[in-house]
Amino acid sequence: MLAKSFKRFAIAPLLVALASCATAPEEKVSLLEQVKSRGELKCGISGGLPGFSSLTPQGAYTGLDVDICRAVAAAALGDADNVAYTPLTAAQRFTALSSGEIDLLSRNTTQTLSRDAGGGNGLTFAPVVFYDGQGVLVRRDSGVTTLEDLAGETFCSKAGTTTERNLNDVMQARGIPFEPLNFDQDQDRNQAYTEGRCAAMTADRSSLNSARSGFAAPDDHMILDEVLSKEPLAPATADGDARWGDAVRWVVYGLMAAEELGITQSNIDARVAAATDGEEQENAALRRFLGIEGDLGSKLGLPNDFVVQAVGAVGNYGEIYDRHLGPDTPTFIPRGLNASFTEGGLHYAPPFN
Amino acid sequence: MAESPRSGPRSRQLLLRIRRGLFASPLDTVITVVLAVLCGGGLWSFLHWVFLQADWAVVVENIRLYIHGRLPVDQVWRSWSWLGLLGTLCLVTLMPAGMLPRPVLRLLPLLWILILPIGLLLLASGLGLEPVKSRFWGGLQLSLLLTLGTILMALPLGILLALARRSSLPLLRWLTTGYIEITRGMPLIAVLFFGQLMIPLFLPEGWTLNRVLRAVLSLGFFVAAYMAEDVRGGLQAIPRTQLEAARSLGLSPLQTIILVELPQALRTALPSLANQCVASLQSTSLLAYLGLIELLGISRSILGNPDYLGRHLEVYIWLALLYWLVCILMTSLARRVERSLNVTGHH
Repeated sequence: MLAKSFKRFAIAPLLVALASCATAPEEKVSLLEQVKSRGELKCGISGGLPGFSSLTPQGAYTGLDVDICRAVAAAALGDADNVAYTPLTAAQRFTALSSGEIDLLSRNTTQTLSRDAGGGNGLTFAPVVFYDGQGVLVRRDSGVTTLEDLAGETFCSKAGTTTERNLNDVMQARGIPFEPLNFDQDQDRNQAYTEGRCAAMTADRSSLNSARSGFAAPDDHMILDEVLSKEPLAPATADGDARWGDAVRWVVYGLMAAEELGITQSNIDARVAAATDGEEQENAALRRFLGIEGDLGSKLGLPNDFVVQAVGAVGNYGEIYDRHLGPDTPTFIPRGLNASFTEGGLHYAPPFN
Repeated sequence: MAESPRSGPRSRQLLLRIRRGLFASPLDTVITVVLAVLCGGGLWSFLHWVFLQADWAVVVENIRLYIHGRLPVDQVWRSWSWLGLLGTLCLVTLMPAGMLPRPVLRLLPLLWILILPIGLLLLASGLGLEPVKSRFWGGLQLSLLLTLGTILMALPLGILLALARRSSLPLLRWLTTGYIEITRGMPLIAVLFFGQLMIPLFLPEGWTLNRVLRAVLSLGFFVAAYMAEDVRGGLQAIPRTQLEAARSLGLSPLQTIILVELPQALRTALPSLANQCVASLQSTSLLAYLGLIELLGISRSILGNPDYLGRHLEVYIWLALLYWLVCILMTSLARRVERSLNVTGHH
């Protein structure tokens, strides 16, 4: 929230512009080789976003974004703990990548054209790890399940954000009348909602979720399944280093493919054993995926069993999601678009061939 | 215990004073009652919240993070020993001058300068200790380290700048005036942004400058400009006749500065210099928005923990208390130094 206000900070566009001038596209060793010879992955995270990255009382970072760093470290270095985390604000994150202060940005960053393009921030995005989007929070006992049920009701939102506009667009397009009520501060908006001044509250689903967890009775409220805007959050690397970008991309795909194939942190050793000389040894695709056969990993510059390393360290994508955003956590967000395509979601890993 | 004979009239005097001060007229009485109800009500609901409603687990369970940052558990003793040394030094400095032997008194300024390198040795590496990367530093320990580093860099730099601004060499005078005016014309957050974001881009390939060092450098250069003006104020308070007297005694210009001008100028400037020191402690909290996990930054990360959602008020009140305690310590140290300078000045 505070970090967002820095977007308007006058110096930020200047810094970004200067940053893109200062990075000379020289012939250099891929970050993948640098990471391997350094023995440590430098990962940029938010450091304070519930469910994505935060500190445990033991001083360790944890969260979905953090597990992506850990998976890449496990795949490239064989040890998920060899990660140096750098907490970054929204204003800092792209400069940190281009100056080489971090190797990988895993910090709830929305993938957009101008961030991807060389004329913009010049990033290379890995696959989306969390499809966020604007959601709607309502009281469970109100019986509301769709936006149509909220016709004529009051919506609390934050003034001057895209949230307000998105809501207007969607409601107008679907011909649903509503009453907007805007606030300058998150906390005022939350309070107005809990005091019953509005029937629904709208914001990004992940932020609705952490707001709800702070309520006195979080279970009395639920987030509707409908999503009003696209906020695909993806890890990113610096442009001009295809080798490193590919490695990161396929580690993330590996986590998703493992979920499709039912490979989990707990059964991975058994599956590897079965594919090596057990009942699955005829399954060539699985053997390639696990690195028992072929050289998929080394084509990327990673060990052939990089998926085994990554999943063994942090679990498959579904397990990561459940650990930080699943039903047993205070930050529960229904999987929705974040399910595997086999379950009707959007996570779809291309073939490991 | 036997009551002293004077306690009777004295308590009556107190009652009288209360009546005269608070209940002199009906209007006074109304104002007193309304204010008392407002203050009492506010205090009561605050205390009610503090003791009955607030959930202090977010502070208690993370106390190690607030004090030492992400330092590994088996290395925490290094942070403790530095904080212990710092605390002892504060206590010794605060002791009445008469209780300390002269050599200790003489050594005190040196010890205050040495405490920073000692801290770096203890916290980073050296002395055969396992090296700890600076990204594990955090919490109160990092805030204090940043403040001390800033002060120890800004104070000498500020004095030099103030002297240079009054120098008879025009180029030197213009340069320092320009530096001071430009720095004072910039907001601190812009300077810090520059330090954290731009310096890494300008460094040659493969060079990296530690984030903490970058923070201290930008804070130090910034605060030095303000301290320079404080010292210059002190220098201007010295009557010209003193300089003439120094010259007629045959003191060289350098001797005049060290023996005549600076001791008096610093004494005059001390209250404002102390003010700058307290302000630089507060300024370190801006670094939370540049990704350093000092006291405020680590609190952001702790508040991100799903187990402590919505516990902002508890954390910020705790932070306010911590910052206030350190500030109180700093101001009493400054008062102590002021008093000892005055004593030596009069005798």
